[in-house]
Formats: sequence, structure tokens, C-alpha cells
Amino acid sequence: MKILLTICLICVPVLAQQIGNPTSQQGVTPPRGVFAIRNARIVTVSGADIENGTVVIRDGKIEAVGTNVNVPAGAQSIDGRGLSVYPGMIDAGTNMGLVEVPQGANGTVDTAEVGDLNPNAKAITAVNPHSAHIAVTRVEGITNTLTAPTGGLISGQAALINLIGTAPKEMAVVPQFALVINYPRIGGGGGGFGGFQQPVNLSDTLANNERQLEQIRKMLRDAEAYGRALDAYAKDKTLPRPDRNVVLEPLVPYVRGQQPVIFRADREAEIRGALKFAEEMKLKPIILGGNDAWKVATLLKEKNVPVILTGLFSLPPREDDAYDALYENPSRLQQAGVRFCISTGDAGAEVRNLPQYAGMAAAFGLSKADALKAVTLYPAQILNVSDRLGAIEAGKMANLVVTDGDLLEIRTRIRYLFIDGRPVVLSSRHTELNDAFKNRK
Amino acid sequence: MPKVHPRRIVALFCTVALAAVCAVRETHAQRTAVETYAITNARIVTVSGPIIDRGTVVIRNGLIAAAGANVSPPPDARVIDGSGLTVYPGLIDSYTNLAVPEPSPGPSPAGGGGGGFFLAQQQRPATGGPNSTQPAGLQPEVMVEDVIRPSGTEIESSRSIGITTALTAPRSGVWMGQSALINLAGDTPQQMIVRSPVAMHVSFTPLRGGYPGSLMGVFSALRQMMLDAQRYRESMQIYERNPRGLRRPEVDRSLAALVPVVAGQMPVVMLANTEREISRALDLAAEFKLRLIIAGGRESDRVADRLKQQNVPVLLSLNLPRRTTAAMPEADPETMRVLRSRVEAQQTAGKLAKAGVRFAFQSGSLANISDLMLNASRVIENGLSSADAVRAFTIWPAEILGVSNQLGSIEAGKIANLTVTRGDLFDRNRTVAHVFIDGRPVDLRPPTDRQGDRPGGRPSLSGPWSLNVKLGPEEKTAALTLQQEGERVTGSIAGSLGAGEISNASMTADEVRFTVSLQIEGQTKEATFTGTLSGNEIRGSVTVVGAAPGTFTATRVRPN
Amino acid sequence: MKILVLVVVVLMGSAVQAQTVSETLIRNATVLTVTRGTLTNTDVLIRNGKIAAVGKNLNASANARVIDATGKFVMPGIIDCHSHSMLDATNEGTLAVTSMVRTQDVLDPTDGNLYRALAGGVTTLNLLHGSANPIGGLNSVVKLKYGRPASEFLFPGAMPGIKFALGENVKRSSTPNQPGVTRRYPNTRMGVEEVIRDAFTRARDYKRAWDEYRAASAKDKNVIPPRRDLQLEPLVEILEGRRYVHAHCYIVSEILMLINLADEFGFKIKTFQHVLEGYKVAKEIAAHGAGASIFADSWGYKIEAYDAIPYAAAIMTRAGVVVSMNSDSDERARRLNIEAAKAMHWGDLTEEQALKTITLNPAIQLGIQERVGSIEVGKDADVAIWNGHPFSVYSRVETTFIDGTVFFDRQQDLARRSERAKERATLEQADPNKPPARGQSPATPRRRPPTHEGGEIEQEEERP
Repeated sequence: MKILLTICLICVPVLAQQIGNPTSQQGVTPPRGVFAIRNARIVTVSGADIENGTVVIRDGKIEAVGTNVNVPAGAQSIDGRGLSVYPGMIDAGTNMGLVEVPQGANGTVDTAEVGDLNPNAKAITAVNPHSAHIAVTRVEGITNTLTAPTGGLISGQAALINLIGTAPKEMAVVPQFALVINYPRIGGGGGGFGGFQQPVNLSDTLANNERQLEQIRKMLRDAEAYGRALDAYAKDKTLPRPDRNVVLEPLVPYVRGQQPVIFRADREAEIRGALKFAEEMKLKPIILGGNDAWKVATLLKEKNVPVILTGLFSLPPREDDAYDALYENPSRLQQAGVRFCISTGDAGAEVRNLPQYAGMAAAFGLSKADALKAVTLYPAQILNVSDRLGAIEAGKMANLVVTDGDLLEIRTRIRYLFIDGRPVVLSSRHTELNDAFKNRK
Repeated sequence: MPKVHPRRIVALFCTVALAAVCAVRETHAQRTAVETYAITNARIVTVSGPIIDRGTVVIRNGLIAAAGANVSPPPDARVIDGSGLTVYPGLIDSYTNLAVPEPSPGPSPAGGGGGGFFLAQQQRPATGGPNSTQPAGLQPEVMVEDVIRPSGTEIESSRSIGITTALTAPRSGVWMGQSALINLAGDTPQQMIVRSPVAMHVSFTPLRGGYPGSLMGVFSALRQMMLDAQRYRESMQIYERNPRGLRRPEVDRSLAALVPVVAGQMPVVMLANTEREISRALDLAAEFKLRLIIAGGRESDRVADRLKQQNVPVLLSLNLPRRTTAAMPEADPETMRVLRSRVEAQQTAGKLAKAGVRFAFQSGSLANISDLMLNASRVIENGLSSADAVRAFTIWPAEILGVSNQLGSIEAGKIANLTVTRGDLFDRNRTVAHVFIDGRPVDLRPPTDRQGDRPGGRPSLSGPWSLNVKLGPEEKTAALTLQQEGERVTGSIAGSLGAGEISNASMTADEVRFTVSLQIEGQTKEATFTGTLSGNEIRGSVTVVGAAPGTFTATRVRPN
Repeated sequence: MKILVLVVVVLMGSAVQAQTVSETLIRNATVLTVTRGTLTNTDVLIRNGKIAAVGKNLNASANARVIDATGKFVMPGIIDCHSHSMLDATNEGTLAVTSMVRTQDVLDPTDGNLYRALAGGVTTLNLLHGSANPIGGLNSVVKLKYGRPASEFLFPGAMPGIKFALGENVKRSSTPNQPGVTRRYPNTRMGVEEVIRDAFTRARDYKRAWDEYRAASAKDKNVIPPRRDLQLEPLVEILEGRRYVHAHCYIVSEILMLINLADEFGFKIKTFQHVLEGYKVAKEIAAHGAGASIFADSWGYKIEAYDAIPYAAAIMTRAGVVVSMNSDSDERARRLNIEAAKAMHWGDLTEEQALKTITLNPAIQLGIQERVGSIEVGKDADVAIWNGHPFSVYSRVETTFIDGTVFFDRQQDLARRSERAKERATLEQADPNKPPARGQSPATPRRRPPTHEGGEIEQEEERP
């Protein structure tokens, strides 16, 4: 059996290099096994680096980490000399798997449902495990994304996924992690083609926003009442049985504060508004976007609300903003004690560049160690999965990236990749097209 | 007293009595039996010479007959006691659209279209020249003298703050057409026109719905037509010399109109405010050796050197930018660029004067014409001398516009346009006591304060309207009530289309939009109206969620 | 001479008042020359706007400004071969052939994004017409002399160029049909070729008509000249090899179509822009002699970009194509150093090859390689000082020079911030800036769409 596994491990990458079906590896779930990465530098993130250590993987988990660990008999050995082992990176602000080609192929776009209030639109239902974006992203060391729906006021529910699996269920780490609300925007239309009506002046925008908030408020209150009715009926069957409501039912844990609600908000007024709304409705907020978060740092710290920053690679919103206003955002939040993580904010194609976003934060004030945390431990904590992800510790899920250098640096190569303790072949649509054409004469 | 025959005395008495009886009320500039006036004991700012502290101005037959400290009023003159008054040459507004009728609205283009070039474009002018080879907006042959209409509230408003003469130009287009200098009095266009044409006018605003649809296209279109005009001139000359053996060049009135422009005979006025807009105009003028005049000129002080070197005067707008928006915490702070620009705009005139650049004042589409003098006083507070400010309203525009032998100063023989004030011209408390145009006093009404704070001075939407909606074969009527404050519009509908509040309503320029829920065939459907306001009518289209689009007309119930 | 002289600049207005210091000595840096390797502990002497010397322990005159660059890196200013910055208009989309329009007529030197690009080490841009038309307008090559008038931006001696575009944007694929509105021709890639073929056919006839006229009028003054046609003249220049063609394209069929058409009419395409499938036909592109100006790794945002791969730079470089990395975005222009580094990560180009994609190669593509693109004595002093290797994600720009004058300096930028805050406070108190008692509502602030839409973002024309 061991030999067979070893052969498979060797053959699979070889097979992948051959010119064949460009989608040969997408959606294939390799089996778990027992592995030991030896003599590597282990960047645990949660603690000190371990020079010359070993990580043992078994049954999808990290079994042991250290300089003197017991390597089980039959474990596949990976020579880690000169290499580094990192936790897989997590991007908490994507639509990964919901869209293949955004412009010109509407059949591949599943991000936004019709209508404004869609709490029952669950991203996990529509994530496409065979999307080319998945393999393209994971081979750069991003092992997890939070995939959120878009559109409307209540967009739906976001899913935390492993970037591996044949069916969405296999990918799901937390299938319904958070409700996603687009806090009504102050910024007016992002331009583009076709003129749908936009309020031109700020008073109208604010009045409009207030109306939209009222819609959300009403639905949340309805859900809260519905939840109580269900509970009451469960205790006392003499009461009239409430009809099941597929739209309100998913809202119940969120309105009870049991699960977080993500608010997309960038401007100061939007962030303040979201915090106020969450407090009023007794929700557990997370801010997604957060371009002006540095202006609201005190309040965010006071309310202990974390921010998923997506604007590292955006132009500063105002003409007179300092040129590095958004580059410096993470560093300022860190100084103010606000919890945050760094995200690409991208639908899919750009997510593989997550390390560069973290690197830019480190170029402008954030320490390198914190920059690494901002794409590993911090998102894990914000996503309430730090018991499983975000650091290299025994007992956690074996999502690991083995590199020949600093994970955040561009010139670094990924050598090995494990997700859920499964060895992932480092091929993708892009490597396969490369192989097909690089030697064309 | 010499001995006069009694019959003569009687005749004289009768004539005078008759004249007194026939002395007409001073309405507009009607012919009075008395054509001679004398303003006595007044302070006279001649502009051409030193100020006369106390003197007399005599007007006869539409011209200034005499002005000076030692001038006596002739016996046939109506005497106006000028004690405490100051007489200035009639003020000249060096850029307006006065007397040019506003166009009737054209059909609004459907939706926003694609391609991303739909912003900041102008509707093509509705009145184009007949038999033109060029589309409307590119017809330099359009002449304002063909369309001007005497009288109207705008003319009266300008007069009542002391403006006697204005350059008036076509309202729109890239080649907008040719302007005329008009006196703001007269019953017919012919009586108004002092000089026509004065200049060719160019604006750098792209046209909607065709080439040139971008600023780049505007420059290329201008350039190509000027090259074509040069060739037209050359071709016509060659052909005239000897047509034998040559195919005849086609007659082209648009190109013909440009020949004096490219020959450097007719000046070209180009609208330009920012430094780069002015620089581009200067570059284009240098390329084609044009006689350039800049209109607007807000940042012209930054290119004063070039303006001086290329001998380009500026028709400087007194529509000084001011903040119009209320403070709101959720709003972004204003940009430094805008904040600086507002402060610096007040300083431009003083800097131009110091740099020796010729300029004249214009009202620059001020919504409220009475702000003109207020803004002039701001400019004086920011570096322009009071004497230069007077010149910028009188002799300098006369020189720039080629009428310095007729207007711009109080000298014998010039046209009798006079502005008589109580108090210094730029004093904030001054009043206009008399205005003379072509030697006749004009009726002074207070300037009509255009209602509310509307962009471009359009009539307000406020009031009841009758809304007629055509959806498919059906036509329905409803009562529409609107309230407008500035750009903010609210209102409601009632009647056969259901009752409810409108939302998302706005008015920009003459485009009106609002959304409202309608009752159609027993269902509630949200409809969005987009239309163009003209006078007492709004016309446009309506899109309905879940139904086919339609059209609508709204008519004011009690016209203004 | 270890005197450190700091020139304190009195700043007025929004731009850095560019210091006109005639001599600057950058000491003890790691110098990435691009053409002569990486030199450690090396000085660069700038004099009168040019690179006067490169070497160890250089001497400078007594009034030179000396910058201690120990631990820092100096590289040539980055050249971005595809930009729509500082343009008051991007597209004249009303006609399919708009070779008469010129970006040079609409330059906006006050665009704040120029400063942000300088802060990313960019010194030269190729300003292109948009991708709305098969034959678009004329380009402008500019040095980012932010704070100066537009005329000073124009790169002296740069070869004139023009923009062509093929594919989805030109066909208006994303624009739905509107009732009663005729779609503009072309609607397919077939029509795109025909538009270009027709234009060049007319250009040939135009050239012939003028040649005939010149011959005829030499003998007889009684001839009327043909009409000068500003649309056709640039096309004649292309035929005569006096104007570069920069052609936006994506897929193999249109790349080869344009190569064949150019061969048929006897001219060369200078660069293919984006050309994301160019790696599939690298040998044909190399054989034609065209360069490629590409995104490092953008892909998948529309159908014609779905086969894009980040290995393209490496594949094409090895096939002999001159490859540059461009931004086509004000946002990405700030971090082209990262984009170039990707060429090492994907496809194993060497550091020098990767550096060239943002320095010497775009210079070659724009015909300005005699003056910029590497650090060599005699070239323009367009350089940037970085606090780390430009290919490290942790690095940032300290100072950017153009023609030896500082146009960005981080320390000055930081020092200026409190001054600007004070200036703002003063300006807000000025009479015309005070909010009125009963004012209109302010406009809703514009919200920028997220930048990750990739590739060509059709820019709205904006008025200030």
C-alpha cells in the first residue's frame, strides 16, 4: 500500500505535466495520507519560527510540529532542507467559485440574485469546484477563501471553503459562516454604461439609504419574531404551528447574535452607520472593505469589530488623500489595536496575488510578521476558525504551503501544497497552457 | 430779452405746451417728442479723461453732444438734475446670450448608451443654417443677428443694473456662429444692433449623438474645417482666375463663413477657463494664425505671458465661483483644487491688469445678474483698481470688440449710452438712477430674481402639473404636484394612475427625472420618468418595471 | 566629501515644487543599470539633467546635493507603455476610424494620479486613445513632470504613434442592442479587418493623389490641390514608416490577421498591446518584429482573456519578442515593479530580463531608448531611489527624478502634510468657500469601482 501511494505521489505530478485535458486536475480530490516534512524551517505564525523542524500530517490534520517529533512508520517523507513551511493563506473577501468570466459570459456569473433581500441565497450552493480560478489560486499558496454573494441589500450567506474538492460539500469548512449585508452606500454610481437612476445629491442619497435600512430592519425584526414563534411552538404544541418561511428562517441565528453579519462598507459614514445599525439590531458585525477604517479606528476598537481590508490595491478615494492612505491602513489599525486582516477583495482571478497585498502593507508600516499574520492567523481568527486554520499547531487542519523562501515575496516558489492533509498537485489551467505552448516551434 | 413778435410767443408757447402734453411717460425707449437731454451738476466719469467733479452731459439725437464742467444745457433739453449722481459711459457686458431665443427641446437620447462618452456633451443646436454641408453644431455661418428678439425679462434685468450694451452670441455648438454687439433697447433687431458680425465663437464642448463626441474630436473637427476653409479660399481664387479646364469647387457656406477667420480678419472667441483650456486655445490660434479672444478666463493670469505675447485679450467672467452647497457631515470635504480656485478667481483681474493683458468683464451666465456688480467689488477688493474696473466695463470692451469710436467713454460724438448711479458704481449700496441707450432713457425695473436657486436660471418646477402618460395604446392622465428647491425635487401624483409620493427626483439643466409607483391594470409597478423641461411643458419617456416603456407629457396647470 | 546637504524646498500649491538643482550625487547605492548589470556600493552623478557618471567614489562639485543611498537601490524610471492618465478624453467612439484625433489636444497635467505614479517610480507614460475603434487616435509619450504645464511633459524626440484596437471592445460586444439605434459597424472580427483594410486603401489613394498634385502643380499653377485629410495623413505616415502602430488585441485570430494585413500593405506593427494569447503565436510575432506590451497576470475578466497565462512574458521573451509590462490603469501604474517581478516567478526570466520589461523594453517600443531605459552615462537622469530591491514586495520608492529634478520625495511628502492641513483650514475660512446658510445638498461623492475588473476599464470622460 505504501509503495502504491508513493508511486501515485510521484506519478500524479508527472502525469499532470503531460499535454492533455487542460482541466485534468480541477475538481479532483486527492486522498489523505500520512506525510512528514522534515528539516524545514517552520513558520508557525502563532509562535516562534522553528528552524530545522518537522511537521507530521495524518488524516487531514497536523499531528505534530517540532524539532524532535515522532515520524510515524510509513509516512511519505518530504525533504524540507532549505525550504519553509507556512500555514495556507486565507482570503476573507472574495467571490471565489461564483463567477468564471464576468464580462460576456453571464451563464458563468452566480454572484448576485435578483431582488434586494436574499438571506437564503447561500454561496456554498453555487460555488463551482471545477472553476479554473480555484486551481490557479491555490497553487500560489492560498488554501482558503471566504466566498460571499453580492448584490442587493442582504446578499446572502458567505461560505468559508477549502480550495479543494469535487463537490461544494467537500470544499466547505463553514458552509454558512456569515450573513452578508451591503450597507447602503454613500458613494454614487460607479459609472459604466446605461443610465439607471442615481440620486444626484447627498440628501437624496441619505434619504434613500434610510429607506433601504428600514427594509433591512423590517426583515430582521420579522425574522426575530419568526424565531420566537418557532421556539414557542417547539415547547408547546398547542400553539398554532407557524408556516415555514425559507427566507426568514436562515436569518434567525444572525438576529440572535449567534453568527456574524458582514457589512460591506468603505466610507467613514458607512462604517459608522453599519456599527450603529449592528448595535441597534444586536448583530455581531464584521466590516468588509474598510477603506476609511483608519478614520474610525477608535470606534472599531471600542466596539471590538474586526475589519476585512480589501482596498490595499485601490486608489485613495479622495483627490486630496495622501498617496499611501490605503497602503498604510493596516499599520494604523494595528497601532490602534483594531482587529483586521488583508484581502484582495477580488471575485477570483486576482486572489492569487494576496501575498503582494500583505507585502505592500509591510512596505508602509506594518511589520513583516504582522503582514504574514494578516493573511493567515488574523483571518482565521476573524472567521472563528483559529482552532483549525491560520497557524501550524498540532491538531489544526493540515493546510500547509512549502516554499523555497519568504511566502510573501514574489520570487519565492511554492514546492508543495497540502489542503485538508491532501497533497495538491501544483498544476492549473495556466501551467497546462504554458506546457502546451512554451516550446512551440 | 429781445423783442419777440406776439404770434411767435404764442406759437412757441403752444409748441412747448404741446410738447409737454405729448411728453410721453418713460416706458422702454419709445420715441419722445423731446430728443435732447442734459444731465446737470453731476459727477462725470468720462473714462477718456480725468473725472469731472461737477459737470453737464448733453445728449442730442442719440449721440453725446457735449460733456464737461463748463457745458450749459441747451434750451431744448430736458434737464435732469444730477446732483449726487455719477454719470458713467453705458456699461458693456462683453459676453452674453441676450436676445437669442432658447432652443425648443429636441428628443432626449434613449438611455445612457455605451462607449463611455456620454458625459459633458451638448445637445445639438436645434436651429441650424439652411442648406448647410455641415451638421448642426458645426455651422459657423449661423449669425445671431438673424435670430435676435428685442425685449424680454433678461434684457430688462441687465439694463436695470446699468448695462446698456452687450455682445450676444449663439448659445451652442462647437462652431457656435457669429455674434453681434447690441444695445439693450430698441423695438426691432435693427435698432438694437450696433455691430454685426463681431466675432466667430467656438466652444470646446463635444456634441451628443455624433462626431465630434469627445474633446479630442472637437479639436480635430475644428482643425479640419479650418484647413478646408483655407483650401476653399485657395480653390475659389484659382477657379475665379481661370475656370477653364477645372472642375468647379462646390459652394459651401460653412467654409465661406470661416474664410475671414482663417485670414485673420474676423476674431474668434473661444470659451476657456482653466489654464490648460486656455493654453490649448492659444496653441490652436497660433497654429492657424487666428485673432483669438478668450472668453471665461478664470485662470488666465497663469498664462498671462503667453496672452500678452500673442496679443490675446480676455473677456473675463464675473460669475465668480462660490460654494453653493450646505455643510453636511457625510459629504466629502471639498477638494483643495476647488477651494484654491474659488479664492484665486477673485484675484485674476488684478493680476491681468498688472501683467498688461487686455481684458473686459462679462456676466458669464450669472444666474442672478445683480451679482455682477457685487462680484466686481469683490474683484476690486482682491487687487484690481477701481479705475481699471470701470475701464473693464467701458472702454476696454469697446476696444476689444472694435467699437471704441462709438462707445466706451463719454466724449462728444459717441453714442449716448450712459449709466447714471447714485453712489459709486461699485459701492454695494449704490442704485441706478437713470440709464440712457441711444440717447433715450429706459425704463428701469428691478432685476427679476429668478425663483429659487436653480442651475442655469430655469423656471422652477414647483406647482401643479397635468401628467399625460402613454403606455402602449392607452393614454392616462394624472395630477402631478411638484416642489422644487434648488436641485431638490419632491412631489406626488394622484388620479387614475394611483396616488403616491415621487422619489429619486432631480433636475439638472433642463432634464427632469423622478420615480413613482403607478397603478396599472390593478398592479403596482414602479415607473421612472425622464424628460426635458421647456417653458411650461415637460416631455420625455417613462420606463416601467415589468412593462413596455412609454412616453409622457406634463403640462403646467397655471402657466407662469 | 561626506557633507550631507539637505535642500529645504518651500512648497506652494499641490505639486512638489520641483527642485532645480543642477547637480546631484547619489552615493553608495546598489545600482540596477539594466544594461551593465547590478553594481554594488556605486555612486551615480547627475548633472544638468543627464547621468554624468556611474562608478565608485565619484567626486561632485561643492554645491551638489548629496544623497546618502547606503542600503538603497537605484533603478531607471519605470516606463508604462499603456496609460490613459492625464487625458480629458479617452475615446472618440462615434466613428470606427478616428486617426485624426490626438491625445495631445486633451492633456491634463493636473491629474493627481500622476503624482501617485511618480510615487511608484514611474517617469514616462505612453498615453493612448481608448479601445473603442479599430483605428483610434494619436498617442502622446510624456515624462511625468507633475506641476509643469502640459507642453513640458512631451517627450522630446519620441516617435509618433497611433492606437489600433481589435476584438470585443471594438465590436461593442458588451453593449446590448438599443431599439431604433443602428449598431456601429464593425460588429464582428471580420468587419474589424475590413475597416482597417478600407482605411489603408484610402490612405494609399490619398498619397497618390497628393504625389500627382505635386507633380502637376510644378508645371501648371492652375490646379486645385486635393483636400488635406487629417484622418488619412497619419495612415500615410504609417505606410511610410514614420508612425508606430500600437494595436490592442487579445486572441490568435486577430493577432495574425493584423500581421498579415500589415505585411500586405508593407508596414510593421510596433507593439501588440495586451495580446494575451500572444504566447501561442510568439514565433509569428517575433518574425514580424512586433513587440508585446502585456499585463503580468491579469486574466479571465472577459472571454478573449480567458486563455491568458502569466507565463506569457517568459514564453514571448524566449521567442525573441521585446516584451514590456504595462498597467492600463492609474492604480496598477503605481506598482509596476511588482508586475515586472512576476516575470521571474512565472517562467524563470532572469532579474535583468524582468527589469527590462519596465525599463529598456518599453523604451525600445516607444523609440526613446537612446535617452532612457537604463542607467548609462549620457542618458536622461530619469531614475528612482528605492529603499529595497524593487522586486521585493516590501520595497517602496524614496525619491523619483526626471531630467535630474526631483518630482517625488517621500520625506518631503510626509513633511508637507501638516502644512497642507493648515492651508486647508485657512482656505475653508475664505469668503467664497463658506457654506451658505441655505444651500443645496452636496453631490453624492463618486465611488470608484473595485480595481480588480482587470484590463481595459473604459474610462468615462470627466469634466473637472
